[in-house]
Amino acid sequence: MTKSKHTLSAEERREKTLMVLTPVASVLLALIVGAIIIACLGKNPLQGYAALLQGSLGDLPKIGKTLERACPLIFTGLAAVFAYKCGVFNLGGEGQFIMGGCATALTVFGLGLTGPAALALGLIAGIVVGGIWGLLPGIMKITRGLNEMITTIMLNYVAMYFMEFVFKNLFSDQGLPKTPAIPKDGRLPELLSAHIGVLMAIILGIVIWYVLFRTSFGFKIRATGMNQTAARVNGFPVRRLVLLSFVISGAIAGMGGSIELLGKAPYRLADGFGSGFGFDGVAIALIAQLNPIAAIVVAILFGILSTGGTMMQSVIGVPTAIIDITRGLIIIFAVAGMAMIKLPAIKAFIASIGSKSKKVEANA
Amino acid sequence: MDIFITALPTILKAMAMGAVPILLASLGELFSERGGLVNIGLEGIMAVGAFVGFAVAKVTGNLWMGLLVAMLAGIAVNMIYAFCTVTLCSDQVVTSMAINILAPAIALFGYNLFVGANPANATGEQMASIAIPGLSQIPFIGDALFNQTPVAYLAFLLVPCVAVFFSRFRAGLSFRSVGENPQAAETLGINVVRMKYVACVVCGALAAAGGAFLTLCYTPIYTDGIVMGRGFIALATLIFGRWNAFGVLAASLLFGFFDGTSVALQAQFQAAPIMFFKMIPYVFTIVALIFFGSRSAGPKASGKPYLREQR
Repeated sequence: MTKSKHTLSAEERREKTLMVLTPVASVLLALIVGAIIIACLGKNPLQGYAALLQGSLGDLPKIGKTLERACPLIFTGLAAVFAYKCGVFNLGGEGQFIMGGCATALTVFGLGLTGPAALALGLIAGIVVGGIWGLLPGIMKITRGLNEMITTIMLNYVAMYFMEFVFKNLFSDQGLPKTPAIPKDGRLPELLSAHIGVLMAIILGIVIWYVLFRTSFGFKIRATGMNQTAARVNGFPVRRLVLLSFVISGAIAGMGGSIELLGKAPYRLADGFGSGFGFDGVAIALIAQLNPIAAIVVAILFGILSTGGTMMQSVIGVPTAIIDITRGLIIIFAVAGMAMIKLPAIKAFIASIGSKSKKVEANA
Repeated sequence: MDIFITALPTILKAMAMGAVPILLASLGELFSERGGLVNIGLEGIMAVGAFVGFAVAKVTGNLWMGLLVAMLAGIAVNMIYAFCTVTLCSDQVVTSMAINILAPAIALFGYNLFVGANPANATGEQMASIAIPGLSQIPFIGDALFNQTPVAYLAFLLVPCVAVFFSRFRAGLSFRSVGENPQAAETLGINVVRMKYVACVVCGALAAAGGAFLTLCYTPIYTDGIVMGRGFIALATLIFGRWNAFGVLAASLLFGFFDGTSVALQAQFQAAPIMFFKMIPYVFTIVALIFFGSRSAGPKASGKPYLREQR
């Protein structure tokens, strides 16, 4: 692997630079469009972005809050990355996340657990049930050839209503539409004003990067994602790999749901738990070019936008939906940009610029 | 059984109502996939259609104007998709997923500005139903099926039109050839790129009309997430209906039926955990796909980018 780095051709190196530059440019471009929208509303965009940074990274508690906001997105983002690397377009991150949270709640409240037992068993239950929720569309895909995009979305709604059943009927807090809070000693410990789940998410990202890019299992997963036929010809168990990627992806998202419940205030299931995290995860994975480490960075960026957006709303009075638009634009620009640099005409243009600058260098 | 018979008119009414948005979006997707473009962004386009239809109808007081502007907005959103996939040859699934994230955000932003400026804007206009004389007098099914909003009638009328277009008209046949084999179509003198853009215009307009139906004829309010996965159910409908207009109609009615059953059961057993009834349409979509879903009948070149210079 290290050897191949030295033997990269000029064109390959250029492509790699562009792969990194495109998402960065998309973020900047989206922020500029966001600024234009703010200006059109008659507000000062610079003041707005200053408030955004102030509100998300202003002091340690705020950074902690931002990281806690980013934590579930890291999980759903990693879940999406892992699945797409195997060619599985898992849109069910939200459902798997919710089912993970439900499993934790059911384990903790159902068995009346407290203390470390609640923490450990709750987490395990979340991971297992998230994996099972990912397994279902996987079985449908490999046995009946069903499009996982549709089945995973449908399962998201089933999970959402199941969660409603949990917090309204099974474990309602005095008849209110929410579960009681997780007992104090069963929560995730805090570390520098953020719960320890953030650290777990980052470690998980590094582990996933290692598995995907440095192990033979990861190689098989990636090979299946790139070309199923070639992988099958090579004797890789394609169906089993696809199924496994569904399960692992679901387990990652389920773990995220579990950690969200155990670590983040208000430590309970209620309406809106996990809402939108699945699609955010998809966006993060795509902007990060399916790189787990980059996914963590993008998820933190999303966290900054979300927590800072609230501050921006209160300071200059623009709706937080502007942040949602900015996020949507980042992904559109990233997708369009990635496609654009692969077009033959654009490729030739970039190559011509590259060779020209080389000639200039040579002449000088 | 008695319960079922008394509930039947409710179910049928809800079935016809629930089928229309799915039918419209699914017909839009039919055009898109016949033109070789898989667009899973229906959900997002429907959200924009729902909001724009709601807001314009409220401001102008003209529901048809709301529908028209909603369709234009849907076309505008889908042009982003068209430009990225047709001109830039980006991945269709990924791009339409991006639309699914961007479009609802635009709709929510518009809603925040619209209702934030004036809270009285929260409740919109509703289209009145028109009963067809005679037919609507049929017991049980008459009121349910022949007392609909004009948009619903138009949607159902669209089905035979689309079927005839694809099977009898030259334009429809060349459309299909683009989805089956764009290279061959190009050699026959068909402008593949233009065809694909036309497909996107039709798809955007119909999906947005489906979304606008939700706010103009279904409920008088707009909420974030009002589409509730109908855009994805429409994708399932297309597979279930085998890429055929009448098949899509039958499938939409079936999905509408389960939507209606869910509504009727919720009304019947209010003490029971009604969330399980709400799951019915989604669970049924999966079950239907398990038994009847097969990808084999779809257009062959659907989902593949078309680069003109490429052989």
